[in-house]
Amino acid sequence: MTSHQSQLGEGGGGIAEELAESQQSISIAEFFEKNKHMLGFDSGARGLVTAVKEAVDNSLDACEEAGILPDIYVEIQEAGDYYRLIVEDNGPGITREQIPKVFGKLLYGSRFHKREQNRGQQGIGISAAVLYSQLTSGKPAKITSRTKDGVDAEYFELIIDTDTNEPEIDVEDTTTWDRPHGTRIEIEMEANMRARNQLHDYIKDTAVVNPHARIELREPERHMKYERVTDQLPDETEEIRPHPHGVELGTLIKMLEATDSYSLSGFLQGEFTRVGGKTSDSVTDNFRDRHFGREMVWRPPQSHEDADVEAAVEDAVANKGAEATAEFADRVADGLEGYERVAHSELVALIDDVADDIEGKYDTVFGSTVRENAVEAAWAAVTAELTSDAYALVDEATTTRKDDAAVEGLADRLADKFDEEGRHRLTREELEEYVRRAADSTEEYDDATFGDTARENVADAFWDAAERVPDDPPKVRTIASERDTASDLLEAMRETDIIAPPTDCLAPISADLIEEGLRKEYDADFYAASTRDASVHGGDPFIVEAGIAHGGDIESEGKAEVMRFANRVPLVYQRGACATTDVVKSINWRNYNVDQPGGSGIPNGPTVIMVHVASTNVPFTSESKDAVANVPELEHEIELAIREAARDLKSFLKKRRSMQQRREKQDKLATILPEMAEKLTEVTDNEQLNIDDSLARIMNNVLIDRERDGDTVRLVVENNSDRAADVDLTDIVSADPGDPATENGHVAPSVVEMDGEWFVKWSPSVASGETATLEYSVGDEAEFDVSVEGIEDERVTINA
Amino acid sequence: MSTDTDADAREQLIDLAEEFYDQFAGGDVPKMQIPTRTKSNIEYDEEEDVWVYGDRESTRSAKTISGAEKLLKATYTIDFLARQLDEDRSSTLRELYYLSESWDVDEAQFNSQDESNNLIEDLEIVSEVKREDFHMRPEESGAKVMGPLLLREQTNRGDREIHCQDDVGQGGYQIPNNPDTIEFLDNDAEFVLCVETGGMRDRLVENGFDDEYDALVVHLGGQPARATRRLIKRLHDELDLPVTVFTDGDPWSYRIFGSVSYGSIKSAHLSEYLATPEAQFIGIRPEDIVEYELPTDPLSDSDINALESELEDPRFQTDYWEEQIELQLDIGKKSEQQSLASYGLDFVTDTYLPERLSEMGVL
Repeated sequence: MTSHQSQLGEGGGGIAEELAESQQSISIAEFFEKNKHMLGFDSGARGLVTAVKEAVDNSLDACEEAGILPDIYVEIQEAGDYYRLIVEDNGPGITREQIPKVFGKLLYGSRFHKREQNRGQQGIGISAAVLYSQLTSGKPAKITSRTKDGVDAEYFELIIDTDTNEPEIDVEDTTTWDRPHGTRIEIEMEANMRARNQLHDYIKDTAVVNPHARIELREPERHMKYERVTDQLPDETEEIRPHPHGVELGTLIKMLEATDSYSLSGFLQGEFTRVGGKTSDSVTDNFRDRHFGREMVWRPPQSHEDADVEAAVEDAVANKGAEATAEFADRVADGLEGYERVAHSELVALIDDVADDIEGKYDTVFGSTVRENAVEAAWAAVTAELTSDAYALVDEATTTRKDDAAVEGLADRLADKFDEEGRHRLTREELEEYVRRAADSTEEYDDATFGDTARENVADAFWDAAERVPDDPPKVRTIASERDTASDLLEAMRETDIIAPPTDCLAPISADLIEEGLRKEYDADFYAASTRDASVHGGDPFIVEAGIAHGGDIESEGKAEVMRFANRVPLVYQRGACATTDVVKSINWRNYNVDQPGGSGIPNGPTVIMVHVASTNVPFTSESKDAVANVPELEHEIELAIREAARDLKSFLKKRRSMQQRREKQDKLATILPEMAEKLTEVTDNEQLNIDDSLARIMNNVLIDRERDGDTVRLVVENNSDRAADVDLTDIVSADPGDPATENGHVAPSVVEMDGEWFVKWSPSVASGETATLEYSVGDEAEFDVSVEGIEDERVTINA
Repeated sequence: MSTDTDADAREQLIDLAEEFYDQFAGGDVPKMQIPTRTKSNIEYDEEEDVWVYGDRESTRSAKTISGAEKLLKATYTIDFLARQLDEDRSSTLRELYYLSESWDVDEAQFNSQDESNNLIEDLEIVSEVKREDFHMRPEESGAKVMGPLLLREQTNRGDREIHCQDDVGQGGYQIPNNPDTIEFLDNDAEFVLCVETGGMRDRLVENGFDDEYDALVVHLGGQPARATRRLIKRLHDELDLPVTVFTDGDPWSYRIFGSVSYGSIKSAHLSEYLATPEAQFIGIRPEDIVEYELPTDPLSDSDINALESELEDPRFQTDYWEEQIELQLDIGKKSEQQSLASYGLDFVTDTYLPERLSEMGVL
C-alpha cells in the first residue's frame, strides 16, 4: 500500500499517466480473439460448424458471382488431437496477390460497402475461421487456389498476425491441382463433433435453398451428397447505392466525408439510389427549412397608411443626390406594394435590384451600408404593425367558436414575439415555442383555451405562410463537419417522400425452386411455397419466401421443423431468438387445420416450415448471424409469406380430411348396407340384391356400370356428384368391339388393338346428374377389364 | 295361436321391408319417411276431435351413416317382430333392447332404450299397426280401476269375469297391457273419475266415493300409460260414460289431462285410438286455489316455463285454458290434490268433488 502511494507521489503526473501507459490500441484480430463467441466460435463443437458455414458461404458467393454452378466439397478428418477441415469449390479462384488478404486479414472483403444480396457481408467469416484454427492448433491455414487462366495453382500457408491484423505468410508456392479453377482451404482446429446434427442440418438445409448447387460432405461417420436439381443459377444481383431512408447518421457522415461531390445536390444524386434532380430539390428544401428556418412574411404598409415607406427610405439614404434618392425610395415603395406579404429576404432582394438600377442610371454608388440602412428602414416600416396580419392568420387557423378577444389576444402576443429578431427568421421549433408562449399567456390573462390542436393549427398557418429562405445550403464539407447540420440533413431525407429502392438487387429462390428443394429433401405428401413481393425496411429492400412440406415420411412425433434462411444461408443456432421462429409461434395454426397445442407456439405434427429472407442487409441480432432481428416490417412479411403457403396446406388438409371422411363413410356404409340388404332378402324371401348402384348414389359417386344384352354391351357412366366429372376410361376387351357408339354428343372412343386385346379408350365429360353411354357389340364369350382414371378412387364406383 | 290381427300386423311389416328391398333393387337410396314428432307439427283433426301429426316429415335415409344405421336396425327389428308374431310370443320394449345385443351385426344393436322405443314408435307410424299388435308391451303395466263395472278379460290362462268392486281388493282391477282384450259386460257407473295420484285414489276408495256416486275411479299414476288411456276411451265410447280428470293444480298435471283428452305428442299417430276429447277437467284449477283458499307452493322457474310453453301448445289454445294458465301465472302459486285435506279428510269427497261435478253437470 505504502509503496503504491509513494510511487504515485514520485510519478508526479498522477494516476492518469500511470494508466495511460497500459492504454494502447488493440488490433481488431486481438479483439476478436477475445470475443470469439460474437463470431460463432465459442466452443469446439460450434467452431467447426461455423468454420464450415463460413467457407461454404464464401464458396457459393464466389461461384454465383462468377456465374459458375457451384460444386462444393467439404471434408472433416480426425487429425490426432485436432480436426482437419477441408473445403473445396469450383469457383473462379483468387489471384496470388489477394489470397493472403482474403484469408489472413479480418474485415477484408469486397462486400461490406456494397448494397447487394450476398451471403457474407462483413468479411470477417473465413479469416475468423483461420484465426480460430491458428489459436487452437497453432497450425497455419493451407490455401490452394487456381484462377481460370492460371497455369498452376497458387499455394499458401499463412496465419494472421493478431497485433497488426496482417497476414503472415509461411509458405508461398505454386502447385498442381486437378480442378481447372477453384479454391481449397485446409485448416486444423481443436474441435469436436458434438454438433454433428447441426452440421448435417446446415449441409442439408444449404442444399434445399441452393438447388443449383452440388454439395458433398464427408466426415468420419457419414457421407452426404446432394445433387443439383436445377441448372438455373440465381439471378445475378445488381449492386445498389443506399436508399436515403435507410442510412443512419454515422453512415451519412462517413459518406459525406468520402464523397467527391462538392454540392449537396451532387452528393444526394450521386451517392443515393432513387434520388434525381427533383427528389434532390425536395430534400434540399426540407433541409433548408430545418437548417435555416423560414422567414415570416408581413403585409407591406399601403400608401394611405401612416407608416410611409417612401419617406422612411428616403431618410435612411444620405448623400446620394436628391433625385437618385427620391427615385430609389419611390421605386422601393412601389416594389413593396406589389407584394401581398413580404419576407425580409425578399425586401433585401428588392432593394438590391432597385439599388443596382439606380447606380446604373445616376452613376452613383449604393454601397452595402446604404443598402442595409435602406433595408432596415423599409423593414421597420413593414413590421411597424404586425397584429392585424397575425390576427388574420390566427383567425383563419382557429375555429369560429373561438372568442374574438382571445384570437386578438393571441395574435397580439404572437406579433410581439417577432420583434425580438430582426429578420423574423425562425425554425419550426422556434415558431412552436412562440405559439406555445403566446397561447399560455392568452390562456392565463384572457381566460381562453387553446388546446394542442388549436396551437398546432396556428403554428401550421404561420409556417405555411412563411417563405423558404433563398440561402444556399451549406456545402458538403461543412455538413460533414457539423454533426447537427448532418442530423438536419438526415431528418430532411427521412421526411421527404422517396420511392422505394429497386429490388433487382435481390435474388429470391422463387416459389418453384423452394418447392423443388423441399421435394429433394423431404418425401412428403404435400408441398407449398410462396414468394412475397419486395418490401423495404429502412433503405434496404427485402423479400420473404416461405415453404411448407407436410405428411409423408416427415417425422410426425413432436414439433414441426422450422428451417430458417437468410440470403440462402441456413441459420443453425439461436432458433429461439429469431424473428422467424417468433412469427411461426404467433400464427394460429389451428386455422390451417394443423395441430397446435394451446393454440400458440410451434405447431405439432409432420410439418416442415421454411422461411427465407433475402435482403441487401438482413437485420441480424448479432455478428454471428444466427438469428433475424425482430423488425416489424420484416415480421409482417414473414407472416404473410407463411400464411400464403399455409393456405394451400389448409385446402390440402381439408380435402384430405373430406376424402378420409368419405372413405370412412364408404367403409361404414359398405358394412351396414349389405347387411341390411341381406336381412331384407331374408325377411321378404326375395332374390339376392345388388346394392352397388344405391351405394354409388349415396356416395354421390360416379358410377360406372356395364349392361349386357346378348351381344350388346353398354358402359354407362352415371355422375351422381354435384360437379362435372371428366372420366378417362379404358375398357380392355378380349374380342373386337367393332365401332363403339356414343349418344348425346359425347366424344367418340378410340379403339387400339394390341396382342389380341382391344383397348377402348373413352374420355367423356359428364355433367352433374347426367349419364353418358358407350355401346358396342361383341360376342358373348368376350371378357372385359375396365379401368378409370382422372377421378379420385373415393369418388368412383366401378360395377363393370 | 295366431289371430287375424297378428297376420295383418305381420303383413304390414313385411310390406315395409319389401319397400326397402324395392328401393335397393331400383338402385335408389333406401329411405323411410315419418311425420316430425314435435309440438310444432301437431294439428287438430276436426273430424275426430283430436290432435294428430301435421304434414311435416323427417326422412331416415341411408345417405348418412346414422340414417343407414337406423334403417338397418329397423330391418332387424322388422325381422324380429315378424318372427315374434309367427311364434305368437310377446316381449317388452326393454326386452327388445337387450335382445338386440344378440344380433350378429354390431351396427344393428341399439345404443339405448330410448332408441329402441323410438324405433318401435316409428314402425307403428309407418306400418299403421299398433305396437300392441306387434305384441310389444311396456315394462310397466296399466293402472287400476275401481267401480261398479263387470268385465271379461282374455288372459293367457283363459277368460276371466271380474267385477271391479266385488272381485277385487282394495287396490282395484289391474288394467292389462292390451285393454282390447277386455269385454264390458255390465255396469252401474254414472261417470269415470280419473285421478292423478295414488294417495288421492286411495282416499276416494277409503271414503267409498265410487260406491256413493257410482263412479269408476281410474288411477292414472302420473302420465297415464297407453293401456289406461285406451281403457278410458273405451269406457267413454262404448259405455257412454262422461270422463272427468282430477289432478294436482300445476302445469305438469295439465299435461296429464292433455294426454287423456287431446292425445300426447309422442303418440299423436294413435290419438284417434287413445284420446278422449270429451274428457273434462275437474281441478285442481288455479281458480280453485283462489276460491277455496288452498295451501300453496310458489311456482318454480321450471313451472313458469312449462306454463308459458303450454300457452304455445296448440292443444291448450282454448279460452278456458288460456284463462286458467294466465291466472296461475298471475298468482304465482300451485296446489296439490292433497291440499284439500286442510279442510279435513272428508272435504274432498263430501264437498269439493260433489260441488265441482255438479257445476260441470256430471252429477
